[in-house]
Amino acid sequence: MGEIKLTDVKKSFGALAVLKDIDLHIKDGEFVVFVGPSGCGKSTLLRTIAGLEKVSGGEIAIDGKRVNEVTAADRGLAMVFQSYALYPHMSVRQNLAFGLENSNMPKAEITERINEAARMLEIEAYMDRRPGQLSGGQRQRVAIGRAIVRRPTAFLLDEPLSNLDAELRVSTRAELAALHARLGSTMIYVTHDQVEAMTLAHRIVVMRAGKIEQVGTPLELYNEPANRFVAGFIGAPHMNFLGADVLAVSAGAATLSFSRGYRADLQIGKAKLHVGEKVTVGVRPQHLVVSDDPQHPAVKIYLVEALGSETVVHGDLGGEKVLAVLPGQQKLNAGDTVHFDLSKPVLHVFDDNGLRLFTHPGSGA
Amino acid sequence: MAPVNAVMRIIDVPLRRLQKATGIGGMATFFLAPNMLIFGIFVLLPLVINFVYSMTGGTAFFLSERDFIGGEQYSRLFQCQNYLDPMSCQEDAFWTAVGNTFWFVVLQVSLMILTALITALILNRELAARSFWRAVFFFPVLLSPVVVGLIWKWILQRQGLLNFGLYQFGMDPYTWLTDRNWTFAATIGVSLWAHMGFYALIILAGLQAIPKDLYEAAEMDGTKPARVFWRITLPLLAPNLLVVVVLALIKSVQVFDEIYVLTGGGPGTSTLFLTQYIYETGFASALRNPGLAAAASILMGGVLVVLTLIQLGIGKRGENKGKR
Repeated sequence: MGEIKLTDVKKSFGALAVLKDIDLHIKDGEFVVFVGPSGCGKSTLLRTIAGLEKVSGGEIAIDGKRVNEVTAADRGLAMVFQSYALYPHMSVRQNLAFGLENSNMPKAEITERINEAARMLEIEAYMDRRPGQLSGGQRQRVAIGRAIVRRPTAFLLDEPLSNLDAELRVSTRAELAALHARLGSTMIYVTHDQVEAMTLAHRIVVMRAGKIEQVGTPLELYNEPANRFVAGFIGAPHMNFLGADVLAVSAGAATLSFSRGYRADLQIGKAKLHVGEKVTVGVRPQHLVVSDDPQHPAVKIYLVEALGSETVVHGDLGGEKVLAVLPGQQKLNAGDTVHFDLSKPVLHVFDDNGLRLFTHPGSGA
Repeated sequence: MAPVNAVMRIIDVPLRRLQKATGIGGMATFFLAPNMLIFGIFVLLPLVINFVYSMTGGTAFFLSERDFIGGEQYSRLFQCQNYLDPMSCQEDAFWTAVGNTFWFVVLQVSLMILTALITALILNRELAARSFWRAVFFFPVLLSPVVVGLIWKWILQRQGLLNFGLYQFGMDPYTWLTDRNWTFAATIGVSLWAHMGFYALIILAGLQAIPKDLYEAAEMDGTKPARVFWRITLPLLAPNLLVVVVLALIKSVQVFDEIYVLTGGGPGTSTLFLTQYIYETGFASALRNPGLAAAASILMGGVLVVLTLIQLGIGKRGENKGKR
């Protein structure tokens, strides 16, 4: 079992509140990713769950039992550190055995567990080497191995891939997902890389400034971001945001006016809009569609990045930066002007406070 | 920047010419020369002169007035029936000093490492006014050895602070500096007090270089504090401890000034150490013998070189074993 429940969890360092009223229910076997910009409190949250930091308020429960006062060692969790935190003066085997020896486990069982983990992670070949003689990827495996041998109720992983090069990160990511499928244990994973979050998580917890902004599956966050922050954080490249005024509202529809007077008709569903209201319209770079109609908003291109499979266009729409990812190879150059039909793509409309009002479903390409 | 440029242009011309004449390798020699010269005049040359002195006899100071007598001074130092009994030796003071220095080094260095380690461990913890405590333990290091000797003389002498304190509590005063055992203990205690802060600082730096993550990993594993110390802290501190041992040992063998001020080598010869013997033999005694003093100092230097080489050898072996 590995069910973790956080109720109203608070953490402050002196006067600085790092975590504010965190409520979260992580189900047994779930892969949950905490994501957010630097300093948002995601690592602190992980460390309070681990027991390395004491909470200032609220309750942490593991499998229904309050663990606020339980030491890190007795919570039955295992942590993989960003730096791996391998003991540099011990061999890989000694590193794996160290924690088990603390609990006076019989030697035979320690050996068995280590061998099993070594097989699983394919680190058998360098069990007698020291961490300093291993590559980053190998060290990473050993760090995970040290967590596995403890057979914890849940794994806590603090940016475990951030020290690996890009290629290794992709392959290790896939291995982690496979490992989770195989072990079936609860995993909590902290990262600032939204691609890692999207690919690994059952559910993503987006954090900002010590608060949870939204919890949901990767596609929920992508398709229905709760607010402008989540919309901007999830998805690469980032969503474009354009200021707009509500020009006219009728049943289920509204006309928005963008800078330079460009207009678009949107389906607003049951959302309430007022004429004259200022809103922010978010559109993903991949959703923008080039139009031949010169009536559509004109974007002056200042940079074109041809990636082969797609073309990334940086442009300017009436003073606002716009990024578009267009399919295939486009014959566009810096200095050109293109028109985008703003009624076709999916548009997320946010109010003054950044909360999402509605999503215009768009009509596709 | 203009004045700097002007200066540069002036320097540039001769340097360029020099390089043309001597080549790149010659320039390296040119830049190293001042340092080599200073090292040569003030370190290497005295070493050689000292060695020559040790081969001469008589009381005259100038080499030109001294007779060459070969290894006679050395054989005089080693003229002994039983090395463990200084009184059976021709130079009994030398062997007394050797014995005293030996025990001083053994006790002082081991106590030094222990106290410095404990102090560093405490200063590394989260304690109130930590910077203050760190400064307090380091301050004695800044004192001149003569001041250290005087301070403790005021405390330990017959009418000193310690006896005053004892008297206030109704206890009998004691003659700390005329009791052989107490005086020897005092020399160790005073040198610990005076130098411990320096070694604690080196160990403290080592402690702070150990990543916090390792301790957190150990905490997650439920490692008991004693096991954390023996299995994580101590092994990772080994390079710093080696530095401390080497430095403390060298310094301990050379002990002189603060003890000379405190006890003058007494009572009797109970706190006569090697350096004091060399000083007195060469410069201070009525019948000074610079040759004998030089020979003794060459022997002491030899012992220090051997000790250091052994330790560096141990360190290198440990380093290879623990290669990152």
